[in-house]
Amino acid sequence: MRISHRWLRELLPGLELGPEEVAERLTSLGLEVEEIHAFVPPEKVVVAEVRGKAPHPSRDKLTVVRVFDGVEEIEVVCGASNVPAPGGKVLFARVGARLPAGAGEVLEIGERSLGGVLSRGMICAEDELGLGDDHEGIFVFPAQADVAPGTSLADALPVLDHALEISLTPNRPDCLGHLGVARDLAASLSLPFSPPRPKARAVATDVLGTDAGGHLRLEWDGGEGGQADALDLSSFHVSLPDPARCPRYGAAFVLGVQDGPSPFWLRHRLHVLGHRSISALVDATNLVMLESGHPIHGFDLERLRGGRIEVRLAREGETMKTLDDVARTFTSDDLLICDGEGPVAVAGVMGGLESEMRASTRHVVIECAYFDPRSVRRTSRRLGLHTDASHRFERSVDPNDVPWVLARAATLMAEVGGGVAVREAIDVYPVPVERRRVDLGRARLNLLLGYEVPREVPARVLGALGCEIVEETDAALSVLAPTWRPDLAREADLIEEVGRVHGYDHIPTTVPAVRPAKAGTAPRIRFERALRITAASVGLHEAISYGFVASEDVGKLGAGAALSDLVRVQNPLGGRDAMRPTLLLGLASAASAALRHQATSAALFELGRVFRARVADRHAGWGETFHSDDAEDLALPREQSALALLLVGARPGWVGEAGDYDFYDAKGRVEAMVHALTGHHPDVEARATLDADAPYLHPKRRAAVTLGGHALGWIGELHPEVATKLELDGRRPVYAELDVAALFAASLALPAPKAAEPPRIPAVTRDVALLVDESLDAGELASTLRDATEGLAEEVSLFDVYTDAKHLPPGKKSLAFRIRYRDPSATLTDKRVDSAHGRAIAAAERQHGATAR
Amino acid sequence: MSDALTRFDEGLQLILAELERGAFQAATTEQELREANARFVGAQGSLTQLMKLMRELPGDARRPKGQAANEVRARIEQAFQGRLASLEAEALARDLAAPFDVTLPGRGVTPGRLHPITRVKHELLEIFESLGFEVVDGPEIDLHENCFDRLGFPPDHPATDMQDTFFVTHRDRGDDVTTLLRTHTSTMQIREMSRRPPPLAVVSAGAVYRRDDDATHSPMFHQIEGFLVDERVTMADLKGVLQRFLERLYGGEVEVRLRPSYFPFVEPGAEIDARRPGGSWMEIGGCGMIHPVVFEHVGYDPSQVSGFAFGMGIDRMAMVKFGVPNIKLLFENDVRFLGSF
Repeated sequence: MRISHRWLRELLPGLELGPEEVAERLTSLGLEVEEIHAFVPPEKVVVAEVRGKAPHPSRDKLTVVRVFDGVEEIEVVCGASNVPAPGGKVLFARVGARLPAGAGEVLEIGERSLGGVLSRGMICAEDELGLGDDHEGIFVFPAQADVAPGTSLADALPVLDHALEISLTPNRPDCLGHLGVARDLAASLSLPFSPPRPKARAVATDVLGTDAGGHLRLEWDGGEGGQADALDLSSFHVSLPDPARCPRYGAAFVLGVQDGPSPFWLRHRLHVLGHRSISALVDATNLVMLESGHPIHGFDLERLRGGRIEVRLAREGETMKTLDDVARTFTSDDLLICDGEGPVAVAGVMGGLESEMRASTRHVVIECAYFDPRSVRRTSRRLGLHTDASHRFERSVDPNDVPWVLARAATLMAEVGGGVAVREAIDVYPVPVERRRVDLGRARLNLLLGYEVPREVPARVLGALGCEIVEETDAALSVLAPTWRPDLAREADLIEEVGRVHGYDHIPTTVPAVRPAKAGTAPRIRFERALRITAASVGLHEAISYGFVASEDVGKLGAGAALSDLVRVQNPLGGRDAMRPTLLLGLASAASAALRHQATSAALFELGRVFRARVADRHAGWGETFHSDDAEDLALPREQSALALLLVGARPGWVGEAGDYDFYDAKGRVEAMVHALTGHHPDVEARATLDADAPYLHPKRRAAVTLGGHALGWIGELHPEVATKLELDGRRPVYAELDVAALFAASLALPAPKAAEPPRIPAVTRDVALLVDESLDAGELASTLRDATEGLAEEVSLFDVYTDAKHLPPGKKSLAFRIRYRDPSATLTDKRVDSAHGRAIAAAERQHGATAR
Repeated sequence: MSDALTRFDEGLQLILAELERGAFQAATTEQELREANARFVGAQGSLTQLMKLMRELPGDARRPKGQAANEVRARIEQAFQGRLASLEAEALARDLAAPFDVTLPGRGVTPGRLHPITRVKHELLEIFESLGFEVVDGPEIDLHENCFDRLGFPPDHPATDMQDTFFVTHRDRGDDVTTLLRTHTSTMQIREMSRRPPPLAVVSAGAVYRRDDDATHSPMFHQIEGFLVDERVTMADLKGVLQRFLERLYGGEVEVRLRPSYFPFVEPGAEIDARRPGGSWMEIGGCGMIHPVVFEHVGYDPSQVSGFAFGMGIDRMAMVKFGVPNIKLLFENDVRFLGSF
């Protein structure tokens, strides 16, 4: 919304603040000024009188004009066809004038020769001076204009202005017009304010019949005794069959108009406010809207069939062409303005093409109505038609300013359209909207604002904003809130008004004694924070991806129960039409982009929500974290926190230590994280349920992660086909995903590790290399070794895997273990170690057919 | 008898002679030195062998010969230690003089980095915890009631245009259920207050979604919401808490300015501006006194309690803090970007 600084000064004669100061003040009132557009006329442009004109000697379309600029007579060449006869006055840019040339460029006027004639300056059109869009011809002062040659542009015309671009919050429809902004500003600056009283030039005698629907005598000053054309309005009638949708409808009449271009002041004001000038009558309706905030509509009276207006709901499928020349089809929820035969306007949204005012219009009906905001909003949304009118009606206009707006509109139209306004108007208002009574307790006011508001302030502020103070005591005030402020409904609203206008700067700064909750932050939330830090500490960069993905991409991950039952986005952006059931897609896309950008590797993690429809009998192990026990929350889909990591590409190694990330890099990180956070090592083992949970993993190169019997998630290499679809082909990316709530639950369920005195008795280590079948898992062999030592083996660790087929029997591999023996209570003898070690090897040979090498 | 005596004496002389000839000086490594030493005092060493003759010596000779042998042993030990020390010194000197390439790349860990949003989020939460607030979290998918209605958004009102909403649907026991992606973390006011009585001092941070995707908007972004409800909470308290928070965040003096604004769930409502000494005003977020209609919806008596609430955008703060030029960078997860902080 643009506000003209010049207009504000007209409405508030006492206003002395410049545009920047006004902007600052409005911003401090909550009317945030985002930008100031300056309309400053260029210098060295003056009024000049035409002293003579002659055709150009060699160029057809040019005229050589002699002008007097108050100092001297100057010869210029002009291309316009509307150069006035001698005596006419124009705007003349002297040599050296710098004119706006659009897009911040400047055109400097110099002497130049045109077809052999020296032109010293330029006679200007409005657009060349930044005064408007008009380039029909040069600007010519009206014959009666009293301006002396040499007068500067800024003094000759009311063109110095600043438009303040206000970002208006939706609770302030009153400030969608200059009167509302002026009222707020006046309240803040303690200036007097009241809407100006309309003035009429010529007024027709009353012409309406007694059965019009409701009568209203418009209030204005002056101008009695105009003569209307002979026009029978005695049967003109307005009816409101649906007063809930349209509680008030006013109609005023302007007779005998002749539409044409608007006067300069009106064109220029609209230009400053960012509106295009259309014609005098249309411009007048727009100006009244920009002044009052109340949109009005002008009908061509002779195009309203049957001399009547009815405001009713559309019949399903009813159609009408709106004035943007689009045929619209309506539903039975759309409110229409109809004449005797059919729709002529969409209530509060846009007028119809057939009934709109045009050059031939002789008589005008001005509509000023109040429509149900929600009804306008629904229709405007349904039609995809957001207009200046619907913007205001859906925020609610003042139902009680109809008489003023009609009077203002009728007199202005008569002024610029050359007709006569009719004193009597129609006003159908079956159930008047009353002002709301609101009480304000001083104690509550002072409590909420945190300071003692001086006694006289509330009444002064609320009065200036248009509230009628009906009662004031030491304890409280009772006011009637103006109907242009639908947002003033209860005490808190008045407290804001007093605080806002008195100034939030009066609010002191105090530090309250916070009474912290007994438990403080839940351990689960602290756990999640620690988990992120731990994930970074094992060498993973944190990614944050959108919560929604393309369901098409989910389809690339294979078929599994966990990937069905998607939560769908109804109105997606950019094709992301499903909430992610896994964190894989985000990380894979980041990793694939990284490789595309020639990174040698990507090591990423994400901790975020995953979503699925609620299916009672599945995913039982997953913790319900964010929902309450309220029945209501059962309507929400499942939402869980997951931690995922993805590794792909070259493992960072030292010079010459080549190698790509593989399963064991992911496993090592998962183990490290789980251990760091719980004090326990997870179990990592093959498991068939992963077909359903993580179909995107390689069927062999994957494992389930559990801790103390709690399922935590899985680790695996991506299935080669999935890797290809995710544009990670050939790089064998590895991925892990853990349920954060399950991990947290497991950490609570397991006993916290207890500190023990480190053993002081030395350990003895023995190595053994065992030749076994290729298919034997190292973990299984290690367990066998450990179990056979009857508790003497403190640690069994694999230190070499040898698979070179050239040096081994076919189908065999060699696994080398280092076993650390210790008896915490006694120094081990060689004999005991030998015996234990022998038993371990024997068990390996017996149970797995292993051979010691 | 005397034969044994003679052999003993000769043996000792021989050992001494070998020592004289520099039996240990020839050793150039510790290994060689120990081997040389073993030739005297090892299990098969000459002195060890000689000591086996002791039993054959005449009784009165045993004592003086034993002494003599011990003296020889001491001389061996002394010579051994002497040579050992000089070998170690040589080795050290060699080690200290050996060339070494310090320009080879460091072998090491590549530490991961937390996302800038997480870093700012953790910092904010920790500050509020230090001010006595409790951290909670809640679902990103929520009910229309919690996101709008109970916060006082009038139905069909343009206020909801401020937050263009994504709606989501899922199947639940054969029916389609429609819910929405929360447009702000203010849902947490309803969720927390409906569950327990005042006093409450709560903050919550997380992802929110609005249907807006252009150069300066991301359809997902992050907010932190905080609220304090007690018997007599004032707007001055709100200003005080915000100032404390910002001073801890920026480390130093901060001036806080409240500017009237509109959010349906607070009244009075305000924008938070802040500036450091000599700096210009920055927009920090929105705040206000919790609207009585919110209290009514959660079952509090608005005449008995008051409270404030505030909300701030985490992404903007992260962009300012880390100089991120474009919000889209925050969610592209480019590893070059993620690793650069």
